[in-house]
Amino acid sequence: MAYIRKDVSTLTGAERRRFVKALLELKRRGEYDEFVRMHIDYYVSDGDGGLRTAHMAPSFLPWHRRFLLDLERALRRVDSSVTVPYWDWTRDRTARAAPWTDDLLGGNGRRSDHQVTTGPFAYATGDWTIKENVTDGNFLTRDLGRAADPIALPTASDLDWALRDPVYDTEPWDSTVTRGFRNKLEGWGTGSGSVAWRNHNRVHRWVGGVMLGGASVNDPVFWLHHAFVDLLWTRWQNRHREHRYLPAEPPGPTSRQYRRVVARREKLPPWDVTPDQLEDASRIYRYA
Amino acid sequence: MVVSVDGVPVTAGPVVTGRPGTAHGTRRRDLLRGLLGAAAALAIVPVVTASRPTRPVEGGGPADSFDEIYRGRHLQGVLAPTGHGAAADVRWDITVDGRPLHLMRRADGTWLSMVDHYSSYPTPLEAVRAAVDGLGPGERLRAADPAHHHPHMGGHHGLHP
Repeated sequence: MAYIRKDVSTLTGAERRRFVKALLELKRRGEYDEFVRMHIDYYVSDGDGGLRTAHMAPSFLPWHRRFLLDLERALRRVDSSVTVPYWDWTRDRTARAAPWTDDLLGGNGRRSDHQVTTGPFAYATGDWTIKENVTDGNFLTRDLGRAADPIALPTASDLDWALRDPVYDTEPWDSTVTRGFRNKLEGWGTGSGSVAWRNHNRVHRWVGGVMLGGASVNDPVFWLHHAFVDLLWTRWQNRHREHRYLPAEPPGPTSRQYRRVVARREKLPPWDVTPDQLEDASRIYRYA
Repeated sequence: MVVSVDGVPVTAGPVVTGRPGTAHGTRRRDLLRGLLGAAAALAIVPVVTASRPTRPVEGGGPADSFDEIYRGRHLQGVLAPTGHGAAADVRWDITVDGRPLHLMRRADGTWLSMVDHYSSYPTPLEAVRAAVDGLGPGERLRAADPAHHHPHMGGHHGLHP
């Protein structure tokens, strides 16, 4: 029986408490920091060599789908009623809206050092000391909307631009492709400045603080953001039912992408699972 | 205005135009080794670069190092020699206030840092400045510590082929 992932703005008080409590328990056990490390380790950029699985690659979506499932399984071992909610940033667009409330993720970082001082993940609680970080900071940081040079969250029309594209991904299967749903959603643009940050990438920037960097998983909003990105993949699938994950076959030895991306029926490291097997998760969970 | 430590304006010229992305797998373990070595090297570099401008930049030509104060932070970078001698293996060793900052390269030749990981910039210097912009007030990069495999430098799982 599939369980339901809900819009975070619709969670009851009890659902919020249990979700937060399960996250804190994973953190206490040290399991949470394994997720932080894993995400850092699998960030391989496309201008450097090697197999890309998590970013700048077709498997951006299935990689994060499986990553979320692993986190969700860990949460459900703590409390079997918990599922990962999603944050629809086309609707909840301000620093005072869900999920930035004191009973959920807490609010913005304070001006002096961007430290999050409200809610269950505030450093002063003693429950959320950051261990794996790019900086020497040991507290959660946010700079919602980037106060010094404000930017807006992506809009519904930004998303629709991605969802309209019937092709999942195109050659050369990296951050430079300008067509295909995957990169339009992942959000690597061309040029510089704020137009270059789209959809998924832009949300990381809007949240700021640790979410901007390699250790973004330290902010639990990472999961709510990626649950929404995952939901968008299912929306795209529903809209383009004849289209599937690409590439269907691995790029050949003459391709510059040879052994650098994961094709539909290849294993997706670090798991023993293929994008083909992750395309339909409807038997595990559905979105409300 | 951005100036180097000796008051000379620093211009970020186009970076070496290497063909990015080859079969050489850049492992994070390699980057770790490189950065730790570079951290030691950079202890000497400031003495050299602070006394003269970085390699003259004429007409925006390539520069192979930078050394400047930006928003109160000391940014230093040198183009690192690579074992392969191939332009594609361009790597910069960067520090902010003496602490290493790992840069990654995109296939379009632009650069991104571990601090600002979801957008990229035309030159290493611009990527480093953006990283400083992304740091909170008073927030510093992690110090290089060979005893601990910092996640922003060395892989814990090391599974990248």
